[in-house]
Amino acid sequence: MVPQFKPSPLRIRFFCTKTVQQNHHHRWPIKQITKTNFNESLSEIKNHISSSDFIAVSLQNTGSFSSPWHCVSTFDTPDTAYLKAKFAAERFQILQFAICPFKLQASKVIAYPYNFHLFPRDELKMGMPSYSFTCQTSYLTAMAKEGFDFNTCIYDGISYLSEAQESAAKVRMGNPMAVDHATKSSSSPALSVADTVFIERVRSRVKHWKNACTDSDIKTEAALVTSLRKIVLGGEQFGSRPSMTIDVCSERQVQLVLKMLEDFSDVLVPLIIPAKGGGTQAVRAVLTSSDEDKDLLKRELQTFEFEQNKRVRGFREVIDLISASQKPLVAHNSLNDFTFIHSKFLAPLPPNMNEFICSLRLAYPQVIDVNYLLKDIGPVKKMTNISATIAYLKNRFFAPIEMEIPNQANENEGKIHGHNVVKICQLFGKLCSILKITPDAIESSDDFLASAINRYTNIFYSLPGSSQEPTNEEIRGWTNDKRKVSCEDVVFLWGFRERISAGILKNMLQGSHEVFAEAFNVRMVDRSCAIVVFGKPGLSNTFKNVMNSKAVSGPLREMVSDGLKAAGYETYQRVCSSGLWESALADALDKTLASHNCLSEAAYETKQSEIYLSNELINLAEL
Amino acid sequence: MKKRWPITILYRAFSSSTTSTTASFPLKHVKKSNFDSALSSLRHHVQAADFVAIDLEMTGITSAPWRDSFEFDRFDVRYLKVKDSAEKFAVIQFGVSPFRWDPLKQSFITHPHNFFIFQRQELPLDGAAYEFLCQTTSMDFLAKYQFDFNACIHEGVSYLSREQEDKALKHVNSTYEDESLDSWHSLKEIRDTHLFNIPDILFAERMKDRLSEWLGGLLRNRDGGSEVQPSFNDSKQQFETIFFKMRPAISLNGFTSHQLLLIQLVVRKHFKDLAYLRVSGENSCSQNVIVYIESESDKKMLMKEVKDEQKIDAEMSIKASIGFRHVIDLLSSEKKLIVGHNCFLDIAHIYSKFFGPLPLTAEEFISSVNKYFPHIIDTKILLNSNSILQQRMKKSSTSLSKAFSVLCPQIALGSKSTHLALQPSVKVEVEVDDIRSSNWNSGVKHEAGYDAFMTGCVFAQACSHLGIDFKQQSSSENLAHNEKLREHVNLLYLSWTNGEIINLSTGNRTSESLASNKRKNHYPKILFECIVIVWGFPSHLKAWDIRECISKVYGPTSVISVYHVDETAVFVQFSRAEMVSKFLDLKGSLDRNNDPISVLHPLAKLLEGGNTCAASYETYKEICSSTVSKVLFADQAKAVGIKWKTKLVESSDKTKEHESLRKVKAVNSDPSCGERTKNKNFDDVSNDSSYSQLSSDEIIDSFYTREAKQI
Repeated sequence: MVPQFKPSPLRIRFFCTKTVQQNHHHRWPIKQITKTNFNESLSEIKNHISSSDFIAVSLQNTGSFSSPWHCVSTFDTPDTAYLKAKFAAERFQILQFAICPFKLQASKVIAYPYNFHLFPRDELKMGMPSYSFTCQTSYLTAMAKEGFDFNTCIYDGISYLSEAQESAAKVRMGNPMAVDHATKSSSSPALSVADTVFIERVRSRVKHWKNACTDSDIKTEAALVTSLRKIVLGGEQFGSRPSMTIDVCSERQVQLVLKMLEDFSDVLVPLIIPAKGGGTQAVRAVLTSSDEDKDLLKRELQTFEFEQNKRVRGFREVIDLISASQKPLVAHNSLNDFTFIHSKFLAPLPPNMNEFICSLRLAYPQVIDVNYLLKDIGPVKKMTNISATIAYLKNRFFAPIEMEIPNQANENEGKIHGHNVVKICQLFGKLCSILKITPDAIESSDDFLASAINRYTNIFYSLPGSSQEPTNEEIRGWTNDKRKVSCEDVVFLWGFRERISAGILKNMLQGSHEVFAEAFNVRMVDRSCAIVVFGKPGLSNTFKNVMNSKAVSGPLREMVSDGLKAAGYETYQRVCSSGLWESALADALDKTLASHNCLSEAAYETKQSEIYLSNELINLAEL
Repeated sequence: MKKRWPITILYRAFSSSTTSTTASFPLKHVKKSNFDSALSSLRHHVQAADFVAIDLEMTGITSAPWRDSFEFDRFDVRYLKVKDSAEKFAVIQFGVSPFRWDPLKQSFITHPHNFFIFQRQELPLDGAAYEFLCQTTSMDFLAKYQFDFNACIHEGVSYLSREQEDKALKHVNSTYEDESLDSWHSLKEIRDTHLFNIPDILFAERMKDRLSEWLGGLLRNRDGGSEVQPSFNDSKQQFETIFFKMRPAISLNGFTSHQLLLIQLVVRKHFKDLAYLRVSGENSCSQNVIVYIESESDKKMLMKEVKDEQKIDAEMSIKASIGFRHVIDLLSSEKKLIVGHNCFLDIAHIYSKFFGPLPLTAEEFISSVNKYFPHIIDTKILLNSNSILQQRMKKSSTSLSKAFSVLCPQIALGSKSTHLALQPSVKVEVEVDDIRSSNWNSGVKHEAGYDAFMTGCVFAQACSHLGIDFKQQSSSENLAHNEKLREHVNLLYLSWTNGEIINLSTGNRTSESLASNKRKNHYPKILFECIVIVWGFPSHLKAWDIRECISKVYGPTSVISVYHVDETAVFVQFSRAEMVSKFLDLKGSLDRNNDPISVLHPLAKLLEGGNTCAASYETYKEICSSTVSKVLFADQAKAVGIKWKTKLVESSDKTKEHESLRKVKAVNSDPSCGERTKNKNFDDVSNDSSYSQLSSDEIIDSFYTREAKQI
């Protein structure tokens, strides 16, 4: 099949495959943005953001959870759910970030969708934005099926730095900074003898150097002499201008040097060279030929810094635009999306949910999760798929929403991704109309909107959006069980034979001990571990005590001898907070128990019980 | 994944290449679509080959900066780092280039294959997700060389390791043996409780009627031969009469899963001569059928038939998912000489991807590798260890592309350089899809197929320089047994950085002798028992500050070197081994006391911030063996679960002393307290199964010393 090739000097791999064009995805023109057209699109995006009512966001990541139990599930408290989301956000990568500023007008949604292709390229060679990231093959294969072009993404994806990384990078790059008036201390410090000696020495060096540079006679000297002179005088070039570096040992010396250089302010421009570990490494004086030249230099420095910042920030420009607009954001799976956004674009994720929400609120005051709006409509079965949810609403409610996407036709036909973000807009429009958060109200009074929307804002974890459907039919009975369950009534069981079903396990337990005479439920968490929920308060403790006592007898003793183990909810919380993300929950629980034993038990236990007593009830209704 | 990527794309890719003016090195690119045919032709080429050159492209090398290869890596630590890399990163391209000497043409013929591989989860057996790590710099590097990620992810050949295959087969066996009556029973018990609500009962009644009607019609049909058709035309789509395994049957369509459950219940309760079956039909979607059976034994026969068929199907799909591993099995079973360039990591990847999990120690790894691949040659070692070749290399770098251009200029430059052939050179011809060529353009570096080709050429040329005459070499004789090569076979660089070489057939480790003059040694000889690892110190402290700080305590000659592992950790090498324990003892006591004396202590500068930890080299090894990879070493230590600040060590001569001390201690102190703390130490260690019993004893000893000092 491979023909014989004619020789040619080009060394391009021509086998690079083109991705398939998928016709059914051509519905909405979504502007695809890569490194090539990023800068030119920014101003347009900025306009759309500032004129929009809401901004929908949607991410395409390289994975979500590695083992079944890492997935946020209905038995998670907000904190454990957050820890799971955090674990995922820290490991996986965003490859596509779709944003869609939109307006709601009557039953019309006017949307301006953009889909950004991201790749965490180490532009500064500093191991940033991320040293490495994890990919789940199932995610990549699914993306491949949609015709995703990985070459575009990796060759031409937009890079970025988080806010925290940007400030770290600035220090480490050590770019010279122009001295602004704030850094110049106005008060003249009292001079010690040492200071005076230092200043005078530097002053004479600067004077010599300046004279040498400006003296026209020297220019006729031989090249060797010039270079020698350069070495002696410590002169360098800064761009096309001569400059001189003055080493300093302390911030005080920086001030002294700056003060001294003011005497030469007609031609010298001082620059500060930051040290790698923070602080100042040296002051550099740049010689300019005239006042115009001086202004030119200052402008040059400004544009240089501006360009560099832009290059460093990359995609975060967009994130900053969104943040600066303070517009409400609409997401579908907000906990997941915003842990990713926080960790990639703001700063490393804080250790718990509360701090996370506080930190996030500073950047994004309003986040609305459509899943939460959905809950208000009634007992909607949990839906992970937006299209399915839209179809469901279509069947139940009459709330036609017209989508208008005035974006110009896309130039790179056939590679349209990021449809979810438009679907989120559509779904949000539908939900607003059903819930009577009417667009009219939005237009007439912003306050009304605020109060109407506020009810739904910033709820990151009510019922997680991405829980798996129960895999065992046996636990169907739970669907009718509407009551909430306290964490205290939940016991984790493991150490039984693998691939056992919840039904069999329940049967086995039923006859094993008197605590199981009352109503209880069993659900598998993963193949290695199950949770038992006791209907009657207090039984869980009895059971745990029985499991740990020597008095355990009968069939239960038999099961314990076979390896059955039990632990309360607090052990599970400790698993999540200690980051023991083993692939089987049973292993993680075992390890946690093992490391727990070594701590002084009393102290830890009381601390823990306080935490879990204050835990909110968890709703097991929709298992 | 049954759905194949439309072949048209591939075809387009190929056809576009015909028309394009770009020509490149003739490589056989192998993807999903042409894998089977490529494999069968490769089989012949490998069988006929004198040696097979290989090369791999991975998604990354190190999972954290501190996992990079250092001169301070002891061989076991080096292995742990290689193991970590092979376990975390994926292989996305595999180059195989079998070389055969053609006596007629007096040249080598090679068939360079470039396999795109990508492991997909094709079997629904394993719950754990398949995932791999990407190092961003490596991905960027590959992108720079125009790596085709689409070809890899969209069309890469998948694979199963031997271990995965075994597991999958075992799983299939157990499910088809296990699925005896007990699972049916358990289903029944729970199902029965569902029949409470009226709609369910009514539906069940209706189904019962319909089934008996169908059954009745069937029996009448058979007995009387009357032409009465089943009367439920309204539900023809739902009840479709078919033949299943030569038996009349109903195929159920368009029912909800709950309805199917009810039907299943009805069948089991009321119809002895009907059997409900759920079979996976074509297109992998499952089909629900109710089959007419004549007797209980007929039912058993049917069940067995179905079960066997399903089992065979499942086994077939496992066999079909082996994919690229067939190539590795081929290389292994043919026992050909494998040639790689600096290929220790490559071999580790091959092991972990296609055989099974990497063993915990380098020794076990080496002996298993030797079983699978009895003859491996590393061209980088070959070039560095032989003086003739070193001369030929004219002291240039031994990187693959450099070696290729120095040793094989006539191949590197293709036909344009025939006039260069002054030195005796081995001729190599490339054959792809039965088209031979001896002139070509240079290929793309870091494409596995081309790299494998270069490696093979370098090896062939090196052999010729060593005086191996391929004309004399009989084709039946294994090249690996040639006496001129014998001393180079099965040597691999454990670490290129410090020139440590391991012999795969004997397990012996040697340091490179010849090359050492080439490599400048910046560091004095490394004695691991003299090394302390310190981390978590104030970030402004640099190696020099730390050295100064410690020298103040132990004198200017006490510290041999301070080496940054990363910005948060350093190795400190002392001049004498006993200083390690002295230092750790001192640090431990400074950690505990917070009095003015310890604040003014010279070491206080190092301990500032209260997060400074220190331990011996063994702890470093322990941290390396963890599967976690945090970017900073200090974070890693935390993630591994290190809660102490100083881990004391015991020199062997003191152990006895503490042995007695321990006894005294056990008598004097509260036994429960001692017991508990002892457990703690065990647990710290038990997290890591590779840790030897000896070291856990050491820790216990160290604990007792610490306790003794507190008194």
